[in-house]
Order: sequence, then C-alpha cells, then structure tokens
Amino acid sequence: MAEIALHNVVKNYGKLEVVHGINLNIEHNEFVVLVGPSGCGKSTTLRMIAGLEEISDGTISIGSEIVNELPPRKRNISMVFQNYALYPHMSVRDNLGFGLKIAKQAPDVIEERVREAADVLGLGDLMDRTPAELSGGQRQRVAMGRAIVRNPQAFLFDEPLSNLDAKLRVQMRTEIKKLHQKVKTTVVYVTHDQVEAMTLADRIVVMKDGYIEQVGSPMEVFNHPVNTFVASFIGSPPMNLIPGAIDGDNIRFSDGAHISVPTRLKDKVRNGQEIIFGFRPDDLTPVGHGINESGQQAPMKLVITLAELLGTETILYTQIAGQEILGKMFDPRDIHPGEELNMNLSLDKAHLFDGATGKSVRLD
Amino acid sequence: MSNIAKGVPFWRKEQFTPFILLSPAILTLMFVVLLPLLFSLYTSFTGYRLIRPESLYDWVGFRNYERIFSNKNFWIAFGRTILFLTIALNVEFILGLGIALLINRITWGQRTLRTFMMFPMMFSPILVGYQFKFIFNDNIGILNNALQALGLSDGAIPWLVDKYLAMFSILFAEIWMSTSVFAILLLAGLFAMPRDPLEAAKVDGCNAWQVFRHITLPFIMPFAFIAMTIRSLDVARAYDIVDVMTGGGPAGRTELLWTLIARVGYDNSRMGQANAMAYVSILLSILFTYYFFTKLLAARKYMGGAE
Amino acid sequence: MNSALKKRIGNVLSWVMTFLLMLVICVPGLWVVLTAFRPNSEVLAKPAVWIPQNFNLNNFAKIFGFGAEQVAIPVPAYFTNSLIIALTSTAIALLIGMSGGYAFARYRFRFKNGLFLGLMLSRTVPGIALSLPVFMIWSRIGLIDAKLGLIIVYVALNVPFTVWLIDGFFRQIPKEMSEAAQVDGCTRWEAFWKIEFPLAKSGIASAGIFAFLTSWNEYALASQLTRSTDSKTLPVGLMDFTAQFTIDWAGMSAMAVIIIIPALVLTFLVQKHLIAGLTFGGVKG
Repeated sequence: MAEIALHNVVKNYGKLEVVHGINLNIEHNEFVVLVGPSGCGKSTTLRMIAGLEEISDGTISIGSEIVNELPPRKRNISMVFQNYALYPHMSVRDNLGFGLKIAKQAPDVIEERVREAADVLGLGDLMDRTPAELSGGQRQRVAMGRAIVRNPQAFLFDEPLSNLDAKLRVQMRTEIKKLHQKVKTTVVYVTHDQVEAMTLADRIVVMKDGYIEQVGSPMEVFNHPVNTFVASFIGSPPMNLIPGAIDGDNIRFSDGAHISVPTRLKDKVRNGQEIIFGFRPDDLTPVGHGINESGQQAPMKLVITLAELLGTETILYTQIAGQEILGKMFDPRDIHPGEELNMNLSLDKAHLFDGATGKSVRLD
Repeated sequence: MSNIAKGVPFWRKEQFTPFILLSPAILTLMFVVLLPLLFSLYTSFTGYRLIRPESLYDWVGFRNYERIFSNKNFWIAFGRTILFLTIALNVEFILGLGIALLINRITWGQRTLRTFMMFPMMFSPILVGYQFKFIFNDNIGILNNALQALGLSDGAIPWLVDKYLAMFSILFAEIWMSTSVFAILLLAGLFAMPRDPLEAAKVDGCNAWQVFRHITLPFIMPFAFIAMTIRSLDVARAYDIVDVMTGGGPAGRTELLWTLIARVGYDNSRMGQANAMAYVSILLSILFTYYFFTKLLAARKYMGGAE
Repeated sequence: MNSALKKRIGNVLSWVMTFLLMLVICVPGLWVVLTAFRPNSEVLAKPAVWIPQNFNLNNFAKIFGFGAEQVAIPVPAYFTNSLIIALTSTAIALLIGMSGGYAFARYRFRFKNGLFLGLMLSRTVPGIALSLPVFMIWSRIGLIDAKLGLIIVYVALNVPFTVWLIDGFFRQIPKEMSEAAQVDGCTRWEAFWKIEFPLAKSGIASAGIFAFLTSWNEYALASQLTRSTDSKTLPVGLMDFTAQFTIDWAGMSAMAVIIIIPALVLTFLVQKHLIAGLTFGGVKG
C-alpha cells in the first residue's frame, strides 16, 4: 500500500523520445487507469513503474522511496500481463506460489497464502492444472491471483482484458473492480478501451503521443474534456466536432448555417475566433425523446440518413454543415431513412474548443 | 543526462548486455574463421608451399589467381561443380516436394514415415559415400549383382569408373543424402498451411492443379527457401562423398572444386594456389547462400508472417 | 469414372510410391548393416551370396580388437576420440549458442541484423577451404593432431547453427514470462534459469543433438587436422580402410554401423524440435 509519484519522467530509445517528461501522483489505494490510443506511451509508463524499462530521465517513487535504479523484484509490486505470462511448466498452485518461493517463505506460509488467494478468486478446483488446461477467464484469474498473493504495494495491469472475448471482458471487468474493493491496494491499470477506463477508474489519465492530456475522475473527463482529443477519445459513440467561427452571438459553420453560442461560454470567446463546436450524441435528440430538454436549446430540422437500433435508444445519423453527425433517440420509435425530424441540441452541455490549439475555451 | 547511468559500471548497462552475451560467439568465429580466412587471403598472394616454409613471405601478387583462371582443369572442375549443384538442388527440390505431398496425403503412419525420412539427413556424408561406394562397386556391389542376377546386364557396369556413370553415382549419393532436408521442411510447410485459402480457392472454382499452383506452392515457397539456405550452407559436404567414392578420379573425371583444392593444397602442397581456389569456392558458397537468403526474405514478406 | 474409385486408385498409388520411397531410403543402409554381420569372404564371393550364411559379431570383435583376427585400424581409439571431441565441442557450442541466441531473441541492439548475417555467412565457408588456413595456423601453434585443435574448430562450426536454433526457441517464449518472474522477485539471471531455460530445454537439447551429429559426422576438416590415434575420429578412420590393399568391406561396414547408431538413436529424439526450430527461425524471423 503506497502512493506512486512520477516526476518529469522521460523515456527515449536512442534518439526517439516516446514519453516526454510526465508528472503524475497516484494516491494510496487509488485505482488509476492510463488510457490512450496505441503508441501513446501508456504501456511504457507502466513498464517504467514496474522497472521493466529503464527511466531515461526524471524520477519515479513508490511509497517514499525513489525506485529509479531498483530492479523490478525490489519494488514490491505485482503485475498482470496482457497475455497473462503464466509459467506454462508449472501448475496453478506453483504459479501462484512462485513469488513467495523466490522470496524464500516457509512452505506452510506459502500454502496458506496461496489458498487465501485461490479462495478470493475461486480457483480452488484448478490448483493442479497447468495453464494450458485453463480457459481464458481462468488464466486471467490465475494471473490476478499471482498478483495478489504477494500482498504487494501496488498492482500493475497491462491491458489485461484485451485477449478475452466481449462477454468475458465485461465479466472480468466487474471482477477486477470487486477485487480492488476487497483487496485495497494502489492499482495502475493500462488500457486502450475507454469503456474499461470509465467503469474501473477512480481517476483516468488520458495519454497521447507520450504526453498526459488530462487527469481526472471519469465524470470530469467525460463532462469537461480539456481538448478535442480527450473529447473524441472518451465516450462512445464519440463526441461530434464541427469546425466553425464566432460571429457575434452565433457560431457560423462553413456552409453558412449557424447556431447560438452557449450562454455559459459567451465571455470565453471573442468575435471572429476560429473554434470547434462539440456536443455528445446524447445531447442531440428528437423533440420529446431527449434527457436534457430544459435549459438552452438549439432547435433544428434534420434529415436522418441511418438509424441504428440498440433497444433502449436509437443512434441517429444525420448531417450538419456537410459533416456526418450522430444523435440519439431515447424511448425510440421506428425511424425511416430520409425522415425529417424536429430535433433539439442542448447547448448547456455543448463544448467549444479553440480552432487552432484544440483546447477547451473553458480553460482560458 | 541519464541519472540511472551513475554508479553503474558500463558492462552492467542494458545496451551492453547483448554484446557481452554475444562475445563468446563472436570471439570464437573471429579466431577460427575470420582470422584464418584473412591469413589464407594473404597466402593466396604468395607462392607458399608447405615444404618450403620461407616461401610464405614470397609475395607474388595476383599470379596464383592468374594461374588458376588460365588453368583448364580449374575451369572444368568449376563448371562441373556448378552443374553438380544445379542438378542436385533442383532434383532434391522436386523430389522433396513430391515426397512431402505424398506423405501429406497419407494419414496412417505419417509420423513414422517422417522419422524415416530424416535418417539420411543424419548420416555422415562419409558414410553415405561409403555406402554407395559399396553398392556401386563394379565387382561386388549389390547393384551389379542384382542386375546380373536378374539378367539385365551380363558384364560388370563400371559405375564408379566411367566418366558419366561416376558423376551419376555421386549425384545419386548426394541426392539420397539431402533430399530429406527439402521433404521435411516442405512437409512442415504443408502442415502449417491454413485451410481457409484452400477452401476459398475451391469455392472460387479452382481445380486441384490450380489450387496447388496458385495457393499451396506460393505458401510453401518460403519453406523451400529455408531448405535451400540450409543446403547452401553445407553443399561442400559433397567433398566427403566424392573423396570416399572416387577421390576425384578416375583421372580427374569427378573432380569438383573442393577436391581440387585438397589435391593442390595438401597432395601437391601448393598452399598459395589452393588458397586462391579456396577463395573462389568461398565466394561461390556465399553467393549461393545470399541468393537464397534474399529469396527467403522476399517470400516471407508477402506471406506476412514476419515482423 | 466415379470419384470413389478415383480416390481409391489414388490411395493405392500413393502407397506404392511410399513403399518404393522407403525402399530407396532403407535398402542401402540395411545392406551395410547386413554386411557388418557377415564375413568378408562372403561379401567377395562370386556368384553373389544373397542370403547371409554366417551371421555373427566377428567383425565387431575384430575392429574392437577382441577377435583372433586383428585389423590395423585402432577403432577403439578413434571411437574414444570421436566421443570426446563431439561431446566437448557440443557442450561448449551449446553454452555459447545459448548466450548468443538469448541475445538475439531478447535484445534490440545496433548491428543486430549484420551480426546475424555475419554469423550465418561464417558457416558457409566450405570445410576444405577453411581447413587450409586452419591447418597452417594450427601447425604453427601445435594444435595439429590434437583433440583440442579439432574441438575448437567444431565449436566454431556449430556456433552459428546453435545460435540460430536457440534464438528461435527463445523467441517462442514470450518475453513477459521473464518479466513476470522478475516482478515476482527474480533477478534476470534467476528468471532465465527458473523460467526461460526450462521452457526452452527440449529445444536446446535438440540443438545440442544437432551439434553433436555435425561434429560426429565431420570429415573434411578432421581428415586434414588429425594425424594419429591421438586425435583421429571415426570418419577419418573409415577412410583408412580404403587405403589398405584389399578392402575389408565387412570390417568397414561394422565400423559404419558404429558411426550410424548414435545418428539413428538421436534422430528419434531430435526430429520434432529440429523441424520446429528450423521453420520457426526461418519463417517468423
């Protein structure tokens, strides 16, 4: 149990710098998820915390100790790998007990701790099997068991669910959440799946190209993205983004159409500023089928080109300013392609980003 | 800049580890291969003879190379070697492919057959040579005995004496020994072959030959090139076979580049000249290997298996 | 013609072909083996004796120096030399190969591809071409007709191939295995011996068997670098027989059998991993 602190951490391979001086403080027992597209440096960051990659510059500390020069085994952490990395020549029991055996624990201590971990994860019946005889979900559990058995200061997860099928992934996601509630420990979890990030994290760290874009609770990141990248990366389907320019009280799009500037952001923009207007599909709804129907609304008539039925809601494809835009219909009825609908855009929930930097104007 | 570098000796640093791990291999090969080859390169420019040690310092420039390049026997041996390799490798490939396809068809006893296939690969070339020297012996060989017993021939056929028959016998031994390299690797290729493209091709209306020609063959070609690369590493093993079967004789009729080198270098003790020839044979081997290796890399690309 | 019949004919045909194939592969070896158990007089007899009349171990007794009849070729000494040289060079080549193969499989470094190519190219040098300078150097530093001289050469001969094979076997083991072990408390060295080595063990063993056979079977270099019973190996010894006035086919065959036996035994052990190693190393890069 410990906090983890990254201070100006840099990683380069020869001349190629892949992590550019990131700062991050992870608190006691906090579940932090590093999320971003592939190649954003999230796995490298995790591997630097684990000690599997050298740190090129900056410091990483676990607890109160700077661990830059400590090998993985001296960092008192445990890690669950993407493909589990179970030792194929050992039984489940030996896999779980391996770390303790290396630490030269007494056999009865090992036995007891292994049994406890097995109980927590429901591995009791599988103890004498080898990894090859386990299903994907079972392997996943053994990998987690191997992590908790040593009672480390922190758990590191490197895309642990990406090799599972969709159904199992949801199930294991819940199990990881439950495990964290049971075994209170600091967790650093890497994923490219923003749904996993949203559902698991106490705090989300959104990364891109070796930089941290935003750190915040799932709600913060979802509701107040700091730039267009975070806005489009978090949330599914992604946020609609339309370039335009401020023209008095309006935002004017390239085809001449316009919409009012959200009142709460009015003093954050100046006339003539190039901006990107963003709103989530949830906030563009047919009249009578939305969730935010009070507050400032922009009514419009839109032709639906395609409707995707999901049951409780329907995703509507339409066009604004020549761009494909997604909306939603809650409590849906049948929609025919080509149908024209009266829709409301909830401006209270809309976002404005600077056209040049992509930063949210809210921050100026 | 790197704060981890402080206090860590250079040989403990990550970027040096692979070189430390590789150093025994590199040192061994430098001492046993590179250094001697440099020495023999030097020697090939001297008139060194084993019986006159002082001739090691007798610099003759390109005279050895001029001599061998104007020597008819050298060119005959060289041409014979190229011909020998061309025939051997092609026949081995075709036979190996045939055998692989054959064994791939058979479901019962396949593993046993595959094991048997590997035996010739494990034979010492000297044994293969001996075995066929025995079989092709004109007087007591089983082949002539059998032909006579069956009444197919009344005289003793001089398998190892006649110019063409001797070459044929040696080729036969060589092909017997090495075809399995192709067969085994091509069979591995056939095993690794995914079913989907085969079925897709059948659905698309290809007949058996077209499926083989356009799907199977391209897929197993990388395996053929692996086999070719492996083979080109040890083509010179044919020296052992020739040495035991005919010794390059009779009267130089089965002389290959490698037996010629041995004769000039050891029997005639003209080390300088032999080294010049040796360099030609080394270049030949490297050329063969390089050629197949690039083929292998090219084939791997469109197979998509590589990084 | 209906397709069932066609298929049947195809099957019969492939069985016939397989039978012929096995005949070509097995008969030469079997004939040598048979000869090893027959007296030389029977081998030389005219007309040919097809069914062995005298079936005995005399040839083996003879070449090992037990029989009444003696041969001039000291086979037991050659056998011991072969064994010592092949085993020692294999052990050393394996250690070097493990170290080098691990480096290629696990690290990214400068000149990696160049080094690998160089390693392979060193293997292309024909034995006889290499024997010339090695002979000249060895004779200056007193390694001619010494087991050590041959051992060193065979190590070098085997290193490229063992590196290649072992590289392939280590690549098949995910890097995460070692990393997981390091997180679990191992040093890299411990992680190697406790996790990676046990997993690659059978592959490494087959690389070893392959190296052993290469040394055991080698002739071109051995024939030039050895002189006497101090260092001559079995293949060189086999050639000694042909230098005699009348060729002792039966004795030679007995010696051939002794050379073959390890090869046959080891083939059974090695086959699966060898194929896997060769194709993996080659195809998956």
